Parts: sequence; C-alpha cells; structure tokens
Amino acid sequence: MYQWLDERLDLTRLNNKLFRKVFPVHHTFFLGEITLFAFIVLVLTGVFLTLTYEPSTRLVKVEGYPDPVQAAYASILYIDSLPFGAVIRSVHHWSAHIMIAAAFLHLLRILLSGAYKKPRELNWIIGILMLVTSIVIAFLGYALPYDNYAITATRIGHGIAESVPWVGVAVAQIMFGGDFPGSEHNIPRLYSLHVLWLPLALMGLIGAHLLLMVKQKHTQPKYAEKVAPGKILGVPALPQQGMMSGVLFLVYVAVVFLIAGGFLAHPVEAYGPLSANTPNVKPDWYFLWIYGLLKIIPSSFEFTIPLFGGGKFGPEFWGGVVIPSILLVGAMLIPFFSFTEGNVKQRYLELPSRHPRRTSLTIAGLMFLIMSTMAGYIGDTGMEWLTIGRAWLLIILVPIVTYFVSFWIMRAIWGHTWRDEPQVEFISGPKGSAADD
Amino acid sequence: MADYETKIEYDIHAYDDEEPAANATRRAVLQAAIGVGLAGTLLSTLYVGAGLVPKKVVTPENEPLAAGDILVYAQGDNKGKPISPTDLKPGGPQTIAYPMNPKNNVVKGGDPNNTVLLVKLEAGKLSPETAKNAAEGVVAYSGVCKHLGCIVSNWEASTQDFVCPCHQGHYDPANGGKVVSGPPPKPIPQLPIKIENNQIVATAFFLGEPGKEV
Repeated sequence: MYQWLDERLDLTRLNNKLFRKVFPVHHTFFLGEITLFAFIVLVLTGVFLTLTYEPSTRLVKVEGYPDPVQAAYASILYIDSLPFGAVIRSVHHWSAHIMIAAAFLHLLRILLSGAYKKPRELNWIIGILMLVTSIVIAFLGYALPYDNYAITATRIGHGIAESVPWVGVAVAQIMFGGDFPGSEHNIPRLYSLHVLWLPLALMGLIGAHLLLMVKQKHTQPKYAEKVAPGKILGVPALPQQGMMSGVLFLVYVAVVFLIAGGFLAHPVEAYGPLSANTPNVKPDWYFLWIYGLLKIIPSSFEFTIPLFGGGKFGPEFWGGVVIPSILLVGAMLIPFFSFTEGNVKQRYLELPSRHPRRTSLTIAGLMFLIMSTMAGYIGDTGMEWLTIGRAWLLIILVPIVTYFVSFWIMRAIWGHTWRDEPQVEFISGPKGSAADD
Repeated sequence: MADYETKIEYDIHAYDDEEPAANATRRAVLQAAIGVGLAGTLLSTLYVGAGLVPKKVVTPENEPLAAGDILVYAQGDNKGKPISPTDLKPGGPQTIAYPMNPKNNVVKGGDPNNTVLLVKLEAGKLSPETAKNAAEGVVAYSGVCKHLGCIVSNWEASTQDFVCPCHQGHYDPANGGKVVSGPPPKPIPQLPIKIENNQIVATAFFLGEPGKEV
C-alpha cells in the first residue's frame, strides 16, 4: 500500500522534506497550537450547529411561550433539546473564548521574546489581523441565538459602527443588514458573515501564517546556539512533534468538553426572546475594556467637521473605534520600531529580563487594559467608590507608574547582566553534555 | 532551453533600442487602459455593493408614532392592552409602552424608535416646560438611549432618574429628559400626551428625533 502510494505521490520525498522538519520545543510554543485547536473545534461544532440552526426572524409558535418567538431563538431551544446539543453549543461558546485568550497569550509570548523582529514582521502583522478577525467573528456570532441579551450586545456594536464619521451608517447597514434590531435581513447577513465569509478569510490568514512560519523557521531558545550553532534544534514534525500536538489536541478537546458539560453557556431560556426592555448586560471579557472606555468618555468629547454633509466625531467613535484602532495599528508597527543593532535576522528567543523597556511597556499596556476593564464595572453594586473621575485617573496613572516601577524592579534584579553576553545554563546534566551527544 | 531564453531577452532589448519613444507611448497607453479598467471595475463594485444596504419596508407595525396613537403595554401579562394612568405607580419605576394606531388597532412595536417610557411623578416636581406636555403627573419620553440605542429600562429610585442599563446614562424625567450623568450626548425627547377615556394618548410626535444620536 505504502509502496503503491509512494510510487505515485513520492511520499518518501514529502516525508523527508516536510514531515522531518525540525520543531524547536518550548512550552510557550504550544499557545499558537492551542489557538489552532480551538479553531478546529469551533469549525467542527459549528458544522453541527449550522445543520439545525435557522437563520431567520420569522415568528413561530413554541410551546411554553405565550407569544410567537423568532425562528432563530426557537431553533436554539431545539438544539438545546437534542442529545448533547446544549453541550456542543457550549463547547462552541467556550472554544471561542479559549481561542481569543490563547491567541492573545501567543501574541504576548511573541512580543516578550522579541520573535516579531526581522524577518518575521509580516507574520506579526498577519497574527494581529487574525486576532482582530477572530474577535469580529465572535462578535457577529453573538446575535445569532436572538435572545434579549445577545440582541442588546449586538445593538451596542451596531451603534459603535454607526458612530464612524461619514461612512459609519452605511458600514453598519451593510454589516448588520439594516437597522439592528428591526430588519428581517439582520440574521441572514450576520449568519453568512459568521459561518462562511469571515471564517474563510481567517483560514486564508492561518494558511499564510503557517506557510511563513515554515519558510522563515521558528525562533528557538538561546541554548540552541551553544548546542548547535547556526542549526535548528528540536524534534522532527513526525512522529515526535505530531505526537505531542495530537496529545495536546485530545487534552484540549477533553478539557473544553469538561468545561462545557459543567458550565452550559449562554442560557437563552433565562434571557428570553426579544422584548421591549433592555436587560443589564456586560459584554464578554475581551470587550470589557472598550465597554469601560465607553462608560467614562463624556458626551462633550465631540466635534463635527462640516464637510461632505458633516462628519461627527463623537464619544462612541473615540472609545469604540479610535482607541482600539490606535492600539492595533501601534501593535502592528512594533517590529518597525525595534532597534536591534546591525542587519541581523532574529533567530533566538530574547529573555524578557534583558529587554526591560519592552517588557515594562508590555506590562503597562496590560495595566491599561485591566484598568479600562475595571471602568466597565462603574455603577455596579460594591463598586460605588469607582467614580468616572477616579477611573480616568487610574487609567492614565496606573500604566505610567507600572512602567517605571517595573523598569526599576528589573534594573534592581537583572541590571548587572544587561551588558553581558547571555549566559546559557543547562537545567540537567553536566555542562556541555548536550553538545557532545 | 537556455538559448531560447537568451533569444527572448535579445528581442526585448532590440525593441527598446529601435524605438524608445514609440515604446514609451505604448507603455503609457497600456497603463492608462489598465488604470481606467480598474477604476471602472471598482466604481461598478460600489454600485453593486450599495445593494447590500437593505431598503426599509414600511409595514403597519413599524410606522412611526403619530398624534392620536394610544399607548399600550409593550411587554408583560397585559402586553398590547392600553395603559390606564391609574395603573402607573406614583414615583416610578417607568412602564415601557408602544403606540397603537387607533384606526386599525395595530401596535407599532416593529421599530424600536417607537418605544415610549411612561412614569408618574408628583405634578409639583415637574419643571414648567415638562409639565406642559404631561398629563396628571404622567410624563412620556422616547425610550431609546441617545448614546448607543439601548432601551432605557432601569430606574434609580433615590434620584428618580431613568437609567440606561448599557452604559449608565442617567436622564431626569422631571426636567425634559435632561442627561444627569453618564455618556449620552442629548436628552431623550419628551412625548406630549393627554389622558382620554382613562387611556394615554399621544397628542403629537416626540419633541425631538427619537433614537440613537447619529
């Protein structure tokens, strides 16, 4: 069998060229893989959901509801009634959370270890685009159950899209299929974007990301330079790396099913179908910081440019579009602001402790996100001490203070090593034994 | 093979050498043609893309609120039934209402911008401007938050304010829906009402444009 296939497909050559490719090993290298596994699980559970979900707001009678409810909502009730239906829907939900979290941690790992530097600038930019695409896909899927909670969250997104000067209304109309809620085109539009077009775009980006990774090679831990200078140290893609990835995938599936079995996601019955009132909503954790910014930016942050029918720059635009865009574009430009001496290519991971400015800036950025997230809790019981003024103060001061404190601590601990050549320590065995192997 | 490639290279060079001016013109014409073609394609894409903006279809359910409409419960057990002013609790919280066309008895709940908030306050507490459009202490406002379009569904009893659950915008119903705190850019417009046959009836359209401020 193998011989028959080999004669036709030249499997031996493929094996030697691709499957024996060397993979450097480090536990943080699995973050990107977990992101990919989450995406695979999302596609598989998503296929199951599309087979039963009805993307429509036509009204249908459902037992237990006095008034007719939208077909989309009714079909979610039906999915939940299927064997393991609610679990699979929950796996889809939690996998989306895990995918975004893992992608973000993967990004932090790349940032802190300097792996974004030349020649990997393109892959860094593709990576950020993938994070944005994933978040947009997650958001567009939010409305699909068409319960009161999901509708409110999507309504806010529609409002933010509309706040873009000049083009916002047209963009919102195209993205959401008219006014949201209220147009019969809403759900079909969001559905096709969520299940088809944006996932296809994401698959294209994933393909490009992996292709570039294979072409440019992985960065690797510094000890590889001592052990095998100029070479890549690691395990072959098959069978060793493949085995590790396979096990990790199975562990991932097991864990996400355990979570989904214990914590059923988004109980649509509790939220109820679309009603006249708006429930108390909070967005998912990855939107909380934008939500917090929207709460504290006052309505006076507004001006209109009286050109082409008037472009309004309002508070929702600043908080919901401008600040996130500045962060994203800033992040994309990071590789072009790195001052590595000479025209060298980045081949080894950098230690965060030896790059105090970058590391401190990263921590300060995280503090900005955490403080903005906290502003999302303004007005909640138990958070009365957090006024809008104090939230502003925290958002501006905490990152700045964090930067200097972090830098100072790093200098105190590692400052004496900054000018030295990096030292490599072997965790086990006598020094140099790995090189002798 | 190699000879063939060399020959092509030679031919191209030969062209350049023979008539540089003519080739420059030819290149300019070709580039212009490609440019015009691309621009035309992009423009036609815009025309097709405009079709992605759905047309608004006016049905009896999503017609805008009009003078003479009767306010009915938008939700709950009495959904669709006219609201009696005596059923409103003095001092709030607000009741969410939709207008009902008295001619065909269609509840206009299809457009969220038709959502109305009703609350009964002490008549003496209302500002004179607000009192003009109120009836027996009952005031009516557009229910759509000016900030991002949520329905202003919560009530702060201590200050007697409408509170939007989405980003904590506070509106004062005794003072023309003025923004007390939070991010909303404008007051929610008041709806002039009168009481007729123990029903609440709109006497005009909202005093401002209802819905999210665009």
